Amino acid sequence: MLATTLQALVSGLAIGGVYALIALSFSITFTTTRTLNFAQGEFIGVGAFLGVTVLYALSSGGEGGSFAALAPAASEGFRYPAAALAVGAALGTLGLLLFLAAIRPFAGKPGMSWVMSTIGFGIILQSLGLAVWGPAPVNMPSPFGDDVLRLGGAGVRPQEVAVLVVAVLLMAGLDFVMRRTRLGKAMRAVAYDPNVAALMGINVTAIMLGAFALSSALAGVGGVLVAPIASASLFMGMGIALKAFSGAILGGLDNPRGCIFGGFALGLLESGVALWQAQWREIAVFLLIILVLAIRPNGLFGRRALDKV
Amino acid sequence: MSPMLEVQGACIGYGPIEAVSDVSIRVETGQVVAIVGANGAGKTTLMKAVAGLLPLSAGRVLFEGRDITAMPPHRRVGAGIALSPEGRQVFPDQSVRDNLELGAWSRDLSPCAMEAAIEAQYALFPRLRERQGQMAVTLSGGEQQMLAIARALMGEPRLLLLDEPSLGLAPLVIKEIFGIIRALRARGITVLLVEQMANLALGVADQAYVLETGRVTLSGSGAALLQHPQVRAAYLGAGH
Repeated sequence: MLATTLQALVSGLAIGGVYALIALSFSITFTTTRTLNFAQGEFIGVGAFLGVTVLYALSSGGEGGSFAALAPAASEGFRYPAAALAVGAALGTLGLLLFLAAIRPFAGKPGMSWVMSTIGFGIILQSLGLAVWGPAPVNMPSPFGDDVLRLGGAGVRPQEVAVLVVAVLLMAGLDFVMRRTRLGKAMRAVAYDPNVAALMGINVTAIMLGAFALSSALAGVGGVLVAPIASASLFMGMGIALKAFSGAILGGLDNPRGCIFGGFALGLLESGVALWQAQWREIAVFLLIILVLAIRPNGLFGRRALDKV
Repeated sequence: MSPMLEVQGACIGYGPIEAVSDVSIRVETGQVVAIVGANGAGKTTLMKAVAGLLPLSAGRVLFEGRDITAMPPHRRVGAGIALSPEGRQVFPDQSVRDNLELGAWSRDLSPCAMEAAIEAQYALFPRLRERQGQMAVTLSGGEQQMLAIARALMGEPRLLLLDEPSLGLAPLVIKEIFGIIRALRARGITVLLVEQMANLALGVADQAYVLETGRVTLSGSGAALLQHPQVRAAYLGAGH
């Protein structure tokens, strides 16, 4: 009993870490631009496939195996971190494109055109991905192998621990940047009010571009992190993004720390309920979200009303 | 010599509604110029346009002889214009010190120069030094107003725009704020001031304009307008 509980705890924390990371990515664009990237799920899937592609390119000619079945050696050494960095950079650039094409023309204007334009951007991206990589899921080996770690009787996959550690490090780093650095303070100024930030001499458009680049990079890295646990698929991101978004709403979309909390809470709840009855997992999660929102419409730690959307 | 600021025939609107129609004002270097008028007369709209937050539908804005009508707001700070906005708008979840640092964003100061710039503000507003580590949201209204002015001064403007600095403040605090406006003029900073408290604004102003429903209806020296029967009747109240 203890062993299975511990196991659920670790996998809950691991998937919760990914939810928290993506929830934070939603919060970053929402606070600075009052818009969200509804293609975030597709960005995760594309990030995972790009990661597989980079690993394949780095290990081809050697012991890496074929694209559809990468051997464990393909993720060894510097290759996995290099793939994560490359995907972060590539998706960050894609985020700039998304902002210019799908957000900038519509942000701050009445109506919700940006909702449709980001969804459309995601569908286009996914279709392009299908054309390039095909619909079949692809295996991405974990850099730490697949040997199960024994932890107080519980079997834990090393990638789960890695996901948790990397997600926590990334979030701690971002929290530090937002609170302590000049750039972070400027981002928070834009989050408070873009016009007032402009009065300080802050180039608000540049900050918004940066927010979308950062948010999209996080989605890509999230895809690379989670792919070795499941497998890389262009459809894998939808569920993750939806849960992450729910976590963000639960914690309060305008509060980055609240979003992190919401993401972890959802991951833990999900794996906790699955321990008991797997088919009740989604029901319990979404019932809880509806209940919380009924009592606190801005989320547990949200401050501002969301009606500015 | 060209004036520090010249607004020529400005029309400013929100969609189809024109809030300011064909307004022209001049602000000479070293002066305090006041714009007085009732709530909704278009004073704040005009200030926002000078700061670059609202576009002009007609007319132009010249700063030190240079046409800045199309210049984006963040570049106007670097050019030498800073606005302390209506309602103070300090960043509530950031410390007093961080608010001040953000005010100097466009100057790219070294840590040492930043320290000196902040010290200069603390010398002018000693209360801010006592509160430097506190979140701006915890300050009183008067302290927030001082922070908003200090934050604008951190950009080292040649032209300081003050939008309703007395709004919602106690009489003693208002007196203090107007003392600071006089001190700033003595330092050679040009001030464009928007106020509903017409008597105070006209008392400090070298030049003044009366704005009514988006149009300039009167202008002249502060002292002259203070005596003007129309101004006395409309803004200073009978028996004031």
